[in-house]
Amino acid sequence: MNKERLIEKLSEANVRAVARLITLIENENPLSEEILKKVWKETGKSYIIGITGPPGAGKSTIVDSLAKFLVEKGKKVGVLAVDPTSPFSGGAVLGDRLRMTGAQSSGIFIRSVASRGHLGGLAATTRLLINAVELLGNDYTIVETVGAGQGDVEIVKISDTTIVVEVPGLGDEVQAQKAGILEIGDILVVNKSDRPVSDRLARELQMMLSLGDKKDLESPIVPTTATTGEGIDELWEEIKKHQEYLGKGRFKDNRLEKLKYELENQISQKLFTKKIVEIGDKEITKTSKDILNRKIDPFTAVDNIIKE
Amino acid sequence: MASKGKIRVLIAKPGLDGHDRGAKVIARALRDSGMEVIYTGLRQTPEDIVEAAIQEDVHFIGLSILSGAHTHIFPRVIDLLKEKDAEDIKIIAGGIIPDEEIPKWNEMGIEAIFGPGSSTKDIIKYIDGKNIE
Repeated sequence: MNKERLIEKLSEANVRAVARLITLIENENPLSEEILKKVWKETGKSYIIGITGPPGAGKSTIVDSLAKFLVEKGKKVGVLAVDPTSPFSGGAVLGDRLRMTGAQSSGIFIRSVASRGHLGGLAATTRLLINAVELLGNDYTIVETVGAGQGDVEIVKISDTTIVVEVPGLGDEVQAQKAGILEIGDILVVNKSDRPVSDRLARELQMMLSLGDKKDLESPIVPTTATTGEGIDELWEEIKKHQEYLGKGRFKDNRLEKLKYELENQISQKLFTKKIVEIGDKEITKTSKDILNRKIDPFTAVDNIIKE
Repeated sequence: MASKGKIRVLIAKPGLDGHDRGAKVIARALRDSGMEVIYTGLRQTPEDIVEAAIQEDVHFIGLSILSGAHTHIFPRVIDLLKEKDAEDIKIIAGGIIPDEEIPKWNEMGIEAIFGPGSSTKDIIKYIDGKNIE
């Protein structure tokens, strides 16, 4: 597909064209920028739900149930599911789709995304991938992170509502006191709630929340059993509540805040690339050797290079 | 495609038999050679497979069939790809496919068939040799 044809097909919300645009963005192909420039005004129109939590917590299964639920309500949904890239081979097995057979047969657009070395739970290009999926005219875009560790909180920078999925049996209540992933949830889900110890986890999470600063809208704790779909309707009610709470005002403020962050990132990335090329590998190697041999300290070295 | 492009392969296990060990071994081997593998699991219909392949924008579909259902599934996948204007996606297959049928399937559009005893290295070499843009 050439550029003109691709843009034409994108304006018709053609699935193949959107899938191809996603590939171009993932590959950081310059063509993707040209195309996004042309279709930019059509993006940004979906409500973004982020889902994160540890590996095996049931994120994909919840996404599957939630996406099906939304389609039954007459909404249009797109899904981006991120899985990790191997740090050794650069390859990946993307298996989220395996749990999403229900959503798949409901005609939902699902794209498996490899993290390609990016840390934080997402791929570096996720924000733009959402924009590409939005060209299908979705009401909702659901983004699932890689099985996240305690510090993988990047999802909060891109979603309007962030859902953190926890499961019983992963640790004691001190885990719930630590900073990080549990703090970012607008909604906390206790999945696999058919397990006997799940009540205790819910109580511990409740305790953690009650010790924190009062928020205007407390993060609710929703028990689910994703494999049977139990609790998904309640989860949807809570998402709606959060969406209503954000309203027009907070929603816009939040998005502006996130865009500022994004823009700063992009600027520093571009300046960085430009400067690194300018400095050249020779200079970098030479200075690194000087630092290694203790001829110069890294702080002075960096100042010198930037001044040049 | 830029140098950052990755080869993407969808591995599917259509039909009703549950012998997915082969498909999993292939998925892992392709991953270890640097490819991105979308593993879709058991009992996929040809419609599911083709739709997933398009959404995932893969270069290859790998079909693993051991039940004899390939006589029904191969032509259906080939037809659906044609219907969806996605014939550039190449199909490879593995499992139990009688030797004497292979030339026929090759002609119909199954690019390569790797039967029992095939080495994963050969499969990787084959895919790499296709020089994806």
